[in-house]
Order: sequence, then structure tokens, then C-alpha cells
Amino acid sequence: MSENIINRIKEIYPNGLEYEISGNWLIIKVKPEELDKIAKIMINLGARINHVTAIDLESKGFEIINVYDITHTNISLDNITNIIFKANISKIKPEYPSIGKITWQAVWAEKELKELLGINPIGLPDSRHQFLPYEWPNPVESKLREIPEVNIDGNYLQLKMPIKEAYQSLIPIGPYHPGVIEGQVVYVKVEGEEIVAADIKTGFHHRGIMKLIENRGYNRGVFLAERICGICSGAHGLAYITCAENLFDIEIPERALYIRTLLAELNRIHSHLLWLGVVADVIGWKTGFMYTWGLRERILDIIESITGNRITYGIWRIGGVSRDISKEIAIKAKRAIEELKEEFSKMALEIANHPVIKSRLISVGKLTYQQAFNGGAVGPTARGSGWKIDVRKDNPPHAIYDQSIISWEIVTDEGCDSYARMIVRIKEVLVSTDIVIQCLDYLSKRSGEIKSKVEEKPSKIEAIGLNEAPRGELFYYMKLYENNSLQAIRIRTPSYRNNALIPLMLIGCNLADVPVVMGSIDQCLACTDRIEVIKNNHRKIMRWEDLIVMSVNMSKKKGLL
Amino acid sequence: MIELILIIFTSFFLGLFYSFLIRKFSARLQWRIGPLVFMYKDLRSIMGITRIIQPLYDIIKLFGKKTIIPESSRKRLFIYSPYISLIFAFISIFFIPFSGISLLSNVPYSLVIVSYLLIGSLLFMIIGPIASGSPWAFIGVRREAELFLVTEFGFIISLFSMAISKNSLILWEISISEFNLVNITAGLLMFTSILGKLHIKPFDMSEAEAEIVAGPYTEYSGKLLGIYYLTKIFLIYDFIALFISIFIPINTLPIYLSIPLFLIISILIIFILSIIHVLNPRYRIKNALIWYIKIISILCLINIITMVM
Repeated sequence: MSENIINRIKEIYPNGLEYEISGNWLIIKVKPEELDKIAKIMINLGARINHVTAIDLESKGFEIINVYDITHTNISLDNITNIIFKANISKIKPEYPSIGKITWQAVWAEKELKELLGINPIGLPDSRHQFLPYEWPNPVESKLREIPEVNIDGNYLQLKMPIKEAYQSLIPIGPYHPGVIEGQVVYVKVEGEEIVAADIKTGFHHRGIMKLIENRGYNRGVFLAERICGICSGAHGLAYITCAENLFDIEIPERALYIRTLLAELNRIHSHLLWLGVVADVIGWKTGFMYTWGLRERILDIIESITGNRITYGIWRIGGVSRDISKEIAIKAKRAIEELKEEFSKMALEIANHPVIKSRLISVGKLTYQQAFNGGAVGPTARGSGWKIDVRKDNPPHAIYDQSIISWEIVTDEGCDSYARMIVRIKEVLVSTDIVIQCLDYLSKRSGEIKSKVEEKPSKIEAIGLNEAPRGELFYYMKLYENNSLQAIRIRTPSYRNNALIPLMLIGCNLADVPVVMGSIDQCLACTDRIEVIKNNHRKIMRWEDLIVMSVNMSKKKGLL
Repeated sequence: MIELILIIFTSFFLGLFYSFLIRKFSARLQWRIGPLVFMYKDLRSIMGITRIIQPLYDIIKLFGKKTIIPESSRKRLFIYSPYISLIFAFISIFFIPFSGISLLSNVPYSLVIVSYLLIGSLLFMIIGPIASGSPWAFIGVRREAELFLVTEFGFIISLFSMAISKNSLILWEISISEFNLVNITAGLLMFTSILGKLHIKPFDMSEAEAEIVAGPYTEYSGKLLGIYYLTKIFLIYDFIALFISIFIPINTLPIYLSIPLFLIISILIIFILSIIHVLNPRYRIKNALIWYIKIISILCLINIITMVM
């Protein structure tokens, strides 16, 4: 069977050096000069790039890794979902032809390669820094701070202006601005109130979480992966565990899968509710903000009663989960979710029909299907443009998402604007509540194992893991040394893709729409830059034991214990 | 004479009370607590018994802060316009009758005087920020000016249609004249323009913090910002007192009846304003202008028809 697949792929691309099948992925070794040709072939066939990255092989040079998703193409290779192209380049001359000049999907990733590993993709359209300041290595204090001029033929970055003019006429939204909660700059050029050019710069809090995980090893890294983002911590945990489990050949107990689905969906509900609140706040509707965050609080209570934590769940383990759900909690949680669903659907109707909200969101931040596809949008941003992608169906994580067992649907909308993205998210909350109710039904009726034994040594040395985070496709890649320690981990978050589309969506909008457009893709900069926020201005010093007593009392008060 | 001194304190505290009420009502409607009427018992020694005059505390705090004057600003205009704005708003309290007390509203042309004073106050709220030299202030001021033009249109038309139908330019005479249909139509027109002038929610785009930071007041700090806050306190009183005295005939009643009636009606108006404030997100300036032009032209037409009748 595997030969059959290889023969079929050879019809599409015959020049590979080595073909290999591992799990659901087809790994092809190629020459580095061929990478851009491959990209052209694959993009023309309708495949999309999951991620472009590279690994430092020390004395052997670099290994460029291009991962393509072929689930939405006509290439039928049985159960193969992803094709991984690999090419080795030397350290003396670390160059290869850029993929970014063919598709915008790879531009940010290649900028990152350039910055973190020193690899030079030849012909990269946007050659500015991704994480470092634009002026680097010129000192920031120097009088002439320069924004390098951009020469791009594509439509994605419109900021083509001389430096002097840029400083006179640009309005910087960020890095500290009440409309954006996290640090980033969107430079907009306005004529009156209409935006004629825009540019985005992120990288204000890069902290190198990938390197930290590499040092901790793959079985302890999940706790760090959860802390990449506070809002979609559950999605990160599930994606990490999926990736780590793909290294092994293990069967995960059914009950554990259900618990994982339950938590991932609760995570999605709370994230979407939070997003609704943020957008309401951005368009000046404090009431909507208060109400949705009030609903979100109840979801957090349910999560707390299940895992003991509200934000970082800490129950993901290789081979299962660490905590079971008792029958009583499952029944209570089900009742709470049903009540919430009823209240939310009432509120959602009101939000969706509010005339002022409609006037603020409809035809704001237009992103057509073709633009979304070429730019590599993921998640609700892509689904709001009528593109039916969902990792839960295409390339499911290790949880129960089989549509024959649990009934759910992919939500799409043809509106292609901010309002369509809002409708998609609102419907997704309702779909997620349905999934949660079905999971809780199962968990309250049956019992069983929640963790299976894991072999000491994994059977593969590299794996990818995907999950549908609330913001879109989340991508993890792991590679091990021969001695079973982690050589490299690569993380591609959904906001990383969607943020790259912001300048495109802003052109032609009103200045008042900038926060709306930025909010409409539900950007999570913590994910993009991978950071952790530390708050330390409590005057009162509490010991660890006090906190535990406090939280136990709190739970008792709420009737959760 | 004693009335003129008393009205200073009355209007100041009523203005404070109204802005407290807007905050309290909208907080309660948004599932928040808002400024407390009765402070928690264990905090009373620090915070005082009540926070009804919370807006005043805010202003006092601002007066204690350092005032920063940006180098790029036109300093004289930047510094003086808050004071001029305050003076205009302050003087206009004497020309507006307060529940059956005429004050200075029976001088000739008092209606014209009041409308000029209110326009002047709002105008200097626009001119000061222009002098600050901040791009956020420019955008905020641009929005404020556009909104000012459309709201002023409705405001003036409603005032002068009353003047024409009552055949007088003296505010006191209008306020004690007979109630008829024009009171209702012109009152509606005035109410819509007050929404924009007090920045009630769909029309608060000039200080939309998510878009343009603090809008016009971005560069204002310390005492100068405090002066603007003070101006707003007087302006709230001005608009509500003007609205009640012109359109609702309580000035003919004896004082012991008219003062409680004035309070009840004003609280009712504040409550309606808070509900509108809470229920709506903010409009884009373009949508707001279109909304105003539509509504005002319809109301003006109805107004003229009622006047002719």
C-alpha cells in the first residue's frame, strides 16, 4: 500500500531524493534549489502551507522543513494528510530560494527563519525584521530612526513611502494603546479618516518559549506549552500532547479522549465569549462586555470544578489525562452548560440584530475567499470567508471529534467581513456547547481508565501535531535526538497567520474600524510572540498553603466540592 | 440677588449629582456597582460615608496633579481655552430659569444670550485641543466639530421655533407661556441634539478611547483637564435646566411644587439618557452624521407643520 502511495506522489513530483511514510505524513527529501518549484506545484494543486521552518543539525548544517496540508486538494493519497518536504543546506552558505515570493503564507515564517537561525531565503519579498526592531543593528538612540522601505508587488503590504513622509503622516496604533491590549504596532496612513496604507510590526515580547521547552524535554514541556497563551491554554495543551503522542504507538483510553474533547471545547467557548466581550468593548459597548464576561465566568467555574484550575488546566499527559470527572460534577456541569446555552442564544440574537453593531461590523475588514486562501488565513477568520477548513475534521487531534460518534458541524459564513466572523464565532459557541453536553452525557454514564501506559522509548523521531485552537489551526512539530531527548520543537500559532493579513484588511476602512478589524481576527499576541506575563504588585504576601486553603474554601462555597 | 448666589451652588451640586447618576445608573444596568451611595462600614473611616460626589473627588484629584504642557502646542490658546469654556458654561447658569425662579432670564434677548453662551463653551472645548498639536486630538476634534455642526442645527432650530411660536425672545416669557404641540416636537428635537452634545453613547466617538486614546483631551492633564471636567459638570446642568424650563411648563407653579417636580423630571431625563448610553455601541462619525441629518430633517418638518397649525 505504501508503495502505491509513493508511486502516486511520484507522478506529481518525481525529483525527490527519498520517499518515506510515517503515520499520516509523507516525508520527501529534496534538493534545496527545488523548494520554490515544489511550492509552486503544491499551491497550484490547492495545498496550503502549515509551516515553514528549519532545524539546526549542528555540524551537518540546517534542515529546511516545509509542511503542506493536502486535505483540501484533489491529491488522494489514502490516509495521508500532510506532506513534509525536507532539504539540507550547509552552514557555510545557508541559502535557499524563498517560498515567500510564491505565497504570502510563508513570508512571516521565513522572516523568522532569517532572524532566529540566520538562514537567508533568496528573494523574500519583505526583508525587514520580524521580532527585532526595524532599526537593528543601528542604535535606537540614533537621531535617524529608519523604517526600511518596502518593495513588494503583492497586495499584502501597502506601505510604500519614503522615510521622512512615513514619520510625518503615519499614525501608530500601539505598542501601548487602549484599543490593543497587547503590544504591537499597526502603522496606518490616513487621508481624512480613511486608511490608505497600513503596516504591522510585532515582536514586542518574544521570550523564546520553544528553546525553553527544548531544554525541559518533551514529557515536561506540556506545562510550558499551556502557558504560551492564557486564553487558549487548553488548545495548546491538546496540540502539544497530540504531537508528543504521535511519536509513540499508543492507544489512548476512550474516557480520556472524551475528557480532552470536553476541556478543549470548554476552552473554545470561554475564548469566544471573551472575544465577543473584547469586540463589544472596542466598539464602545460596555454592556455587552460585562455580560459576555459574566457568562465566561461560569465556564471558568466549570473548568475549575473539573481540573482544579481556571486558566491553565495542567491535566494533559502523554497517554491520557491526569484527573477523572466524577458523576456528580458531570451532571452539575451539564445543567450549568444547558442554562448557559439558553441565555447565550438569547443574547446572541440580540447582538446579531443590533442596528449599531451591524453598522459597525458589516463590510468592515473585507477578506475575500481568494485573499484568505492565498494569505493563509486559518480558523474563524478563514471560515468567515466561506472556506470550510477545520483541523478537527481534516486532521483531528487526539480527542473525540469523529462526526459519527459526536454530532457537530463546521460553521462557515459567506459574508467575508467582520460581521461574518462574529456570526461564525457565535455559532461555534453553540456547536461547542452541544459537543460539551454530549461529552458530559458519556462521562456521567460510564466509567473507565483515563491513562494508558507509555513505552519508555518513542518509536518515531519526529512528529507533527495539530489542533483547532479557538483562533484557528495550531501547529506543533517535534524532533528527537537518537538518545530520546528533544532536539527541536516548532510552534506555529493561528494568530501568526492571521496577523499577517491585517494590513490587507485595513485598506479602505475608516480609522474608527482599526480596532474592530484587529479585534475581528481575535488576535492573540502572546501566541504570536510566545510570552508569559508576570504581575507582581500585591502588597500582601501569601504563602502557598494560604492560597490552597483559600481556593478550597472558595470551591466549597460554590458547592463544587 | 441672593438667588444669583444660591444658584451657583445649586447648579454645581446638581451637575455633580447628575453626572453621578449617569455613572450609577449605567453601572447598575451593566451589572456593576458604580460609585457607592452608602460606603461599606469597614471602609467608612478612609473613604467617607458616601461617594455621591465622586465626580467632584475626580476633579479635586486632577487639581492636585502636575499639568504637562506639550512643546508642540500653541501655549496661550492651549492654556486659556479651558478657562474660557468654563466661564461661558458658568455664566449661562444665570440666564436659565430654575424651577419658577427667573434669575436673569427675563432680560431682553435672554434666549439668544443663552444659545451664544452654550455654543461658545462648546467651541472652546474644540479650540483648545486643536492647539495641543497631537494627532489623536486632531482626529478627535475633527469628529467633535462635525458632530457639533449637526447637533447645533437641531438645537438652534428647536430654540427658535419655540421663540416664534411663543412670539418672544425672552427665555422667562417662553417658559411661563402656555403648553402646546410645539413644546413636544421642539422638545424631541432638543433631546436628540443633547444626546450628541453630552456625548451619550452612540455619539461618543470624539472620545472613543479604543480608537483615538482620549480624543481631544489626549494632551490635557492635571488642572487644565480638571477645568474641562468642571465645565462638563456645569454643561450637564445647563442643558437639563434649559430643557425643562423651555419645554415643560413647571415655572408657573408655586416654588414648593416646582422644585420637587424639577428634580423628578431631571432624574427621569438622566435615567433615559443612561439607558440610551448603556444600550448602544458607538457609531462611526459618518453613521452618526447620517443619523442626525435624517432625524433632524424629519423632526424639523414636523416642527414646522405644528408651528403653522
